[in-house]
Amino acid sequence: MNPLVPIIGKISKIVDETPDTKTFHVTTSNGKPFTPLPGQLAMVSLPAVGEAMFSISSQGDDHLEFSIKKVGMLTEALHDAEVGQEIGVRGPYGNGFPLDFCKGKDMLFIGGGIGLAPLRSLINYCVANREDFGNLQVIYGARSPADLCFKEELFETWPKVRDMRVDVTVDKGDENWQGNVGFVPAFLEQLNPSPEGKVTVTCGPPIMIKFVLQSLAKMNYQPDNIITTLEMRMKCGVGKCGRCNIGSCYICLDGPVFTLTQLNQLPNEY
Amino acid sequence: MNQITQEMRNLAKQLLEEEKVQLVMGWEKGSFWYNSTPVFVSKVEDVDKLIWDEFCAANLATYLLDDRFSDEKIALFVKGCDSRAVNRLVQDKQVKRENLYLIGIPCPGMKSAKAAKELGQETKEELPLEDKCIYCTHHNPLVYDILLGEEVALDDIAATAEVSRFEGVEEIEAMTPDERYAYWQDHYSRCIRCYACRNVCPACNCTECCFDLGQTWLERDVTPTGNQVYGIIRAFHVAGRCIECGECERVCPMDIPIMKLNRKIAKDIEELYGPYEAGLDTETPPPLGHYKTEDPDEFM
Amino acid sequence: MKGIKKSQLSNFLQQVSAKYSLYVPAQVDGVTRFQKYSSEREPFLTANTQLSPKELFFPQTEQLYCYETHKQEVKVEELAASSEPQVLFGVRPCDMQAIGVLDDVFLGKGYEDVYYRAKRANTLIIALACSQAEATCFCDSMGVDPAFAPQADLMMYETEDGYLIEALSDQGKDFLQEFSSALEELRSEKPQAPACELKAETDGLVEKLQKMFEHSVWAELSRKCINCGTCTYLCPTCHCFDIESKTRGGKEVKFRCWDSCMYKEYTLMAGGHNPRPTKKERVRQRFLHKLQYMPERYGKWGCVGCGRCIDKCPVNLDITKVIRELREVEA
Ligand code: SF4
Ligand code: SF4
Ligand code: SF4
Ligand code: SF4
Ligand code: SF4
Ligand code: FES
Repeated sequence: MNPLVPIIGKISKIVDETPDTKTFHVTTSNGKPFTPLPGQLAMVSLPAVGEAMFSISSQGDDHLEFSIKKVGMLTEALHDAEVGQEIGVRGPYGNGFPLDFCKGKDMLFIGGGIGLAPLRSLINYCVANREDFGNLQVIYGARSPADLCFKEELFETWPKVRDMRVDVTVDKGDENWQGNVGFVPAFLEQLNPSPEGKVTVTCGPPIMIKFVLQSLAKMNYQPDNIITTLEMRMKCGVGKCGRCNIGSCYICLDGPVFTLTQLNQLPNEY
Repeated sequence: MNQITQEMRNLAKQLLEEEKVQLVMGWEKGSFWYNSTPVFVSKVEDVDKLIWDEFCAANLATYLLDDRFSDEKIALFVKGCDSRAVNRLVQDKQVKRENLYLIGIPCPGMKSAKAAKELGQETKEELPLEDKCIYCTHHNPLVYDILLGEEVALDDIAATAEVSRFEGVEEIEAMTPDERYAYWQDHYSRCIRCYACRNVCPACNCTECCFDLGQTWLERDVTPTGNQVYGIIRAFHVAGRCIECGECERVCPMDIPIMKLNRKIAKDIEELYGPYEAGLDTETPPPLGHYKTEDPDEFM
Repeated sequence: MKGIKKSQLSNFLQQVSAKYSLYVPAQVDGVTRFQKYSSEREPFLTANTQLSPKELFFPQTEQLYCYETHKQEVKVEELAASSEPQVLFGVRPCDMQAIGVLDDVFLGKGYEDVYYRAKRANTLIIALACSQAEATCFCDSMGVDPAFAPQADLMMYETEDGYLIEALSDQGKDFLQEFSSALEELRSEKPQAPACELKAETDGLVEKLQKMFEHSVWAELSRKCINCGTCTYLCPTCHCFDIESKTRGGKEVKFRCWDSCMYKEYTLMAGGHNPRPTKKERVRQRFLHKLQYMPERYGKWGCVGCGRCIDKCPVNLDITKVIRELREVEA
């Protein structure tokens, strides 16, 4: 197996999440390209445009899902693609979330914007293996109601799951918005979930993470039980090209998932 | 210690003590007897690092681009070529003249570090000049706030007196297109695209360089053709702004004769638009940067 | 000990090149590097080469696969990563150590790089002991013996009358057998290892650097660096690469090419965030990678003391001096 050469898959479905984010379902003639663990990554390419690393936001029996925000050339080209477009995928890369560590515990997910994408793979895993986990709670925020990703799951699917609650906030509401208005860290403190028996997984814009971590510390959450993911520019995905190196770690191999304890030991360079 | 070194240190000390500047850029002794390297002094106790010797070839003006929009006051030692670089950067509005304190040093021509390394210390007295200094036409700084040492007369510098600014250019002009292609192909096939020539260049002052934007201008695969395209694009981008400081060629780890190309273009510009040397002052508009009705137009 | 008389060297190389793809250090177009042997090409054996032998296993540009796109269709065709059996003659101990570092990176930690492996597995290496160190050499500070390269297949020692040669690996023994007719008994002794004048004091360095990530010394050390890639491209252990497409000119190809942590685009993310925005972070990365992260991850220095970067850095940002300064400042 040559880890640098992609498998060719096809976009089988495109879901518009927000004005700048779409979820792509990718399938191959033999079903899904591979079976990743929640939190793992894959290289997605339109060979003529480029290749980049994305988290796999969910998977079905016959497809992988990538939720992709428009930020550069490749993502723009992907947004212009239509169902049926063939694309390259290679992976899965990275460590994924520590499932064994999470099993049997209550799970708190704190996401902001497109940061819900990597969390979603784990949330859907917990939902699919409901009996392995305690209570589930999702706290999620976006800039505006239009910027909320995965609306169907947020408002329809997840709230109906046994012992699962979903709390959503937006920075700025609109005339139809009935929910909370405010930033995620403040919302978190207001909801004040107890750290008891909980694993917290958080992902979102760096500035949100920074304040969420401060709030969690205030609320007595322990660094061992806080998990987050890192993003770096990547090229090879297999720990060779050197690009995702932070300290003695390669994020594509040893990450992207780290506990806060581990993160505190890495040089602050992400 | 030579007199200039002493004066450099005294002046640097005074400037820092009186807080006229926050930083002094000069040269210090490098690892070996044949290299002197840029040094940045911001503390009075460090002024004794400063030196002036026959290996201070590095053009310090390039470093002004590091904090090009800062309001820090910087003192900078300038030889002839360095002073032209400063003029260019001021003219291109990359740095503000009023933030600079220029300390001119007339330059007798620097000695070749490459030759020094090969020939050994015993030959110190007979070392050849750096190539860039052989073709140099302005040994005395053109702009400065204070001058250390005596101005040198061009005629006193043996190498320069005998060699013209475009010496050696006729060689490539005399080649047939095929020969010329082979000549550049031979040289550029060993280019490793390290971009030292670009990064050291005071005329390469774009904040976003066309070679950094991915595949849009030139792919990153290193091939003899791609390397030549690199060389040509860069030469065109600095055409008319190149101050002929020769730094690009001096730093090239693969010894590619980059200045042959730059001097050929400078010669063409003279032939097309009349006498011009970049960076002699901050007013004369660069010939390729403005339009005159009498400009040649045979290509139209 | 068996060996090759100086007068017989070209004869020996001729014989080897008749059977294998033979690479020797040579000067071509003004640069010394490993080149395919030919009888007109005198091997350059007086000092180490300007370009390191890494390009034989990890070329500056290497094609990975071809692809075709047509409307919505994408076809990928892998390019076979094969190589003919090759012999590398005259690799210096520092560079042999560096090849060991590249082996760890490209063949270890869970994934094998097939392009690297194809060439590496097909290569027999004849190392050449140094009888003299250049002013920029400091290998003996980095754990390398300038007169011995344990990871090579064969070891060669230059003496007055010729080159003594001994096999270190089984492949090396087979090779000696194969060319036994070209060898003769030489009377000279193995020469003494030279001592490098340039030194770097590395005891306790890793532990000290672990505390120095935020240190102000990096801003000072990096000030004169112009962020060219010279040091990293010439370095025999540097292995960072980029993957890009060649979309013009008929065949569309994905290739990889050397890249450098000295460039600002290296870590620049789509969207504009850059974890290493200035030369302070980039210079720090280069030195910490070699002197702390590599030892932590692979148990060996990322610098083998070959001195190429010291020789060619346009601003003389000398790694031994950097090490000295890192030792001197308080952590
Ligand atoms: S400095 Fe020399 S080797 Fe480096 S890119 Fe320029 S021409 Fe090529
Ligand atoms: S192109 Fe070369 S000679 Fe011209 S200004 Fe730049 S570094 Fe100096
Ligand atoms: S060769 Fe020197 S100037 Fe260039 S990037 Fe390396 S340390 Fe910096
Ligand atoms: S860092 Fe410099 S001295 Fe060390 S191995 Fe690389 S090129 Fe050689
Ligand atoms: S660094 Fe050591 S092994 Fe390498 S060429 Fe110099 S003396 Fe030989
Ligand atoms: S992406 Fe290449 S090492 Fe991580």
